[in-house]
Amino acid sequence: MDQLPNMGREDEMLEIMGFKSIDDLFSDIPENVRFSGQLPLRGPQSEEEILRDARTLLNANITSKNKISFLGAGLYRNFVPSLVGQLIGRGEFLTSYTPYQPEVSQGMLQAMWEFQTMVSELTGLPISNVSVYDSSTSAAEAITCAVRVHNKKATQKDTVYVSELIPPHRLSVIENYTKGGGIVLKKLKHDSNGFMNLDDLSNASGSCAVYVEQPNPLGILDEGITSIKQIIGESTALIVGVQPTSLGVLEAPGNYGADIVVGEGQPLGVGITAGGPIYGIFACSKKYLRQMPGRIVGKSEDDSGRTAFCLTLSTREQHIRRHRATSNLCTNETLIALMGAMHMSLLGPKGIETLALRNFAARQVLEEKLSTIEGLEFPYLNSSHYNEFVVRFPFNAQKVLDWLDENGIIGGFALSNWYEDCENDLLVCATDQTTMEEIEIFRNKLENLMEVEK
Amino acid sequence: MSNIFEFEGVVGMGYSQPAPLLEQSKIKIPSGLKRKDLPRLPLLSEPEVVRHYTWLSTRNFGIDTGFYPLGSCTMKHNPRVNEVIAAMPGITELHPLQKESHQQGLFSIMYEMQEMLGICAGMDSVTLQPVAGAQGEFTAIRCIQEYHKSIGESHRNKVIVPDSAHGTNPASAAMCGYEIIEIPSGEDGLLDLEALKAVVGDDTAAMMITNPNTLGIFEHEISKAAELVHSAGGQMYYDGANFNAILGKTTPGLMGFDAVHYNLHKTFSQPHGGGGPGSGPIGVKNHLSKFLPSPMVTRRPREDSDDVGVDGDWWYTLYNPVESIGKVQQWMGNPGAVVRSWAFYRRYGFQLEKMSEHAVLNANYLRHKIMNPSEEQLEKIPMMPVDGSDVKLCKHEFTLSATPLKEKYGITAMDIAKGLLDKGYMAPTVYFPLVVPECLMIEPTETESKKTLDTFASKFHEVLTEDYETLHKAPVTTHVGRVDEVKAARNLILRFEYTD
Repeated sequence: MDQLPNMGREDEMLEIMGFKSIDDLFSDIPENVRFSGQLPLRGPQSEEEILRDARTLLNANITSKNKISFLGAGLYRNFVPSLVGQLIGRGEFLTSYTPYQPEVSQGMLQAMWEFQTMVSELTGLPISNVSVYDSSTSAAEAITCAVRVHNKKATQKDTVYVSELIPPHRLSVIENYTKGGGIVLKKLKHDSNGFMNLDDLSNASGSCAVYVEQPNPLGILDEGITSIKQIIGESTALIVGVQPTSLGVLEAPGNYGADIVVGEGQPLGVGITAGGPIYGIFACSKKYLRQMPGRIVGKSEDDSGRTAFCLTLSTREQHIRRHRATSNLCTNETLIALMGAMHMSLLGPKGIETLALRNFAARQVLEEKLSTIEGLEFPYLNSSHYNEFVVRFPFNAQKVLDWLDENGIIGGFALSNWYEDCENDLLVCATDQTTMEEIEIFRNKLENLMEVEK
Repeated sequence: MSNIFEFEGVVGMGYSQPAPLLEQSKIKIPSGLKRKDLPRLPLLSEPEVVRHYTWLSTRNFGIDTGFYPLGSCTMKHNPRVNEVIAAMPGITELHPLQKESHQQGLFSIMYEMQEMLGICAGMDSVTLQPVAGAQGEFTAIRCIQEYHKSIGESHRNKVIVPDSAHGTNPASAAMCGYEIIEIPSGEDGLLDLEALKAVVGDDTAAMMITNPNTLGIFEHEISKAAELVHSAGGQMYYDGANFNAILGKTTPGLMGFDAVHYNLHKTFSQPHGGGGPGSGPIGVKNHLSKFLPSPMVTRRPREDSDDVGVDGDWWYTLYNPVESIGKVQQWMGNPGAVVRSWAFYRRYGFQLEKMSEHAVLNANYLRHKIMNPSEEQLEKIPMMPVDGSDVKLCKHEFTLSATPLKEKYGITAMDIAKGLLDKGYMAPTVYFPLVVPECLMIEPTETESKKTLDTFASKFHEVLTEDYETLHKAPVTTHVGRVDEVKAARNLILRFEYTD
């Protein structure tokens, strides 16, 4: 009971109030809904015992610390600079609530205003919020936001076009978020080389939005993306999902016509963390400002003219607007976004470029090495990639993964989990954390496998 | 001090990294996609970054800084062992697409949490996927929507919420496509059964309500409300924001609820982090279980063909409920938050009841101390606030109304809140719930000592002795004075603008 400072003082406090027992404090709970007896749970533990159990359980997990990993598929091995973990643990950040009282919350407010600026710089769009839960919810919120803005003038009412490559787990989130608004999701086709079919894209003109990802879920960088805005026109929103580290080298989507940029912030600042907490990026142009979800920090001044920050445009939000709010978003991922801001602050302009180049280079080396193995195919070899690509085996890719696992390698992701007709396709990833040695080991193991299976 | 973009470093300074595996000239980048200008991220060296964020942290108030009586937010102490556990590589480096045998440790923790949460709320199945309370609400309402569809009742298009509900309730239901029917509370701040009777009917999909309600009062007629809604064919949804008050004393299941969300970042001590992350698992009764989002963790007896795992007898595995609504977050929710809350739960085990007892003890005690100043103090206080609701008992929180002060002296709830900032405290929640005019909503939580509560009450009284002029200028001891929020909204400055 080390969490309860008033253990042993209950009677004293009760007496001051004129009560006899703790039970008196619960006498307003009617008998018919009373729970009696003890909760059927295990006994309490001390900190030491909890730590011991936690170590036993979590050390039993196998991660990229135990095995070489080429698994990406939306979450990426990264390096989180040491100061991030240290500074994020400062109680003033960690244990604060949403900064409703700006006079005593300037630290987090300013940090988030700075984060908004960094995201704005990366994406080439003027406005950013302080985070959405993850890239899937950020994409879903972007779609509903775009429909609110464009539906009036749209000739294809309530309609949004989504790349057919969006993986099922991400699409499922989008479907759940859009169902209530009666939004119709239509698929955008891709050619056999993995690029968007630009003729098909013209069908999206007159709809509310187009959602594509760059790099796409196969790791491909599609040069066609820069023509989309021209094809779909001003009254259809172009929503681009990004991997933010790639923007150290790749053009900011705002500069080729993206109206909303969403993405998975994770590679900047936070480990994969079993998928959460991570943070979703949401940036947009001015047109979407009053329909966007989430907290936004603005710069203002205090009563004596000093610079001061506060939450702003709250009239979009649930605590003010209730059922007419732009989103139900309340608790978000502020602390994780702060980790991202710290990481970006360290990197600077050149640092983020280097980080992106490390990803480009590692993937390129991996692809070059694997292409020397007889029997492997690379269905999208002619396309350009960021840090992932597809390898096609002459047999089932899931079997390849199982065999690699026995050999100390987390080999990637079997695409049959996402798409039909690709039982033999493996999505492999090399990031800034992938070493030459790891690539050699991977190549040699795969070569062995191909020999054995011949 | 400056903002982070005003440091005077030069491009190329600072943080070093290993070189790319290839020379830059050999790296293939599609020329049409190359960035023309580098993003203008800040230019600082490592020591400057450390000092900048440390400086910012000193300008922020957390539970670690001082008493944080923010009603409805359950700002309890966040044990540091939770942080140590959440930073273990077994969680930070784990990828959710890894195979089951790699994740047995995490799955066993998730399973234990699903079971514990189910027991505490009297629910049959729990999913840990929603990552925030609002997302839990949304998920549960989506499940209810699919449930009604499955029994041929998709015509049910209305969700009922009391006017004292959290804003996320109506927002979440509206996102699912429901029309919101708001019912007024009674004079006492409690649910008005007559008002409910007037709106409940064949078109009712669900009622969303928290108990204790947002005034901190236990809705003693909750069973009757549940009967009314159920007999009309609707479902009962429990907003778990106030769950801290009732563990081991009653359960949403006993009260007649069909679905509930939990705020791990309130009841189970996941830190709020300045606005997140959170975690908002939901629990449901059997008839809704098959609609829960996938995946969930289950277990079966371990077989010889299984790997070693973590538990000699059991093997943990993911499963997809048969008619699952699909996903609301693309992975498994926020496992990093779940392990923190697991560590918190392990501290208490079956004694979680004590946590609620002390939360309620502290709230009633603080309410008593504030509303009963000593005679000496009372002489100096020109006007006392009144109870938000004139009930004998509160649960984990209580409300006060500053209306008398406003009418007589023009002193508002906000003025009192700002006055408390000057005394070194976080302010209570103000102007919520909307049904209490000039509302101050105070929740001390179980982790505050009697001494802290005594001192706070006496400082609260000091604030009440201050005149309009003083309070209206407050706070004056904080890093900045009262912030012009109107100006912020009128003249939007949402990022740093470089001058060159």
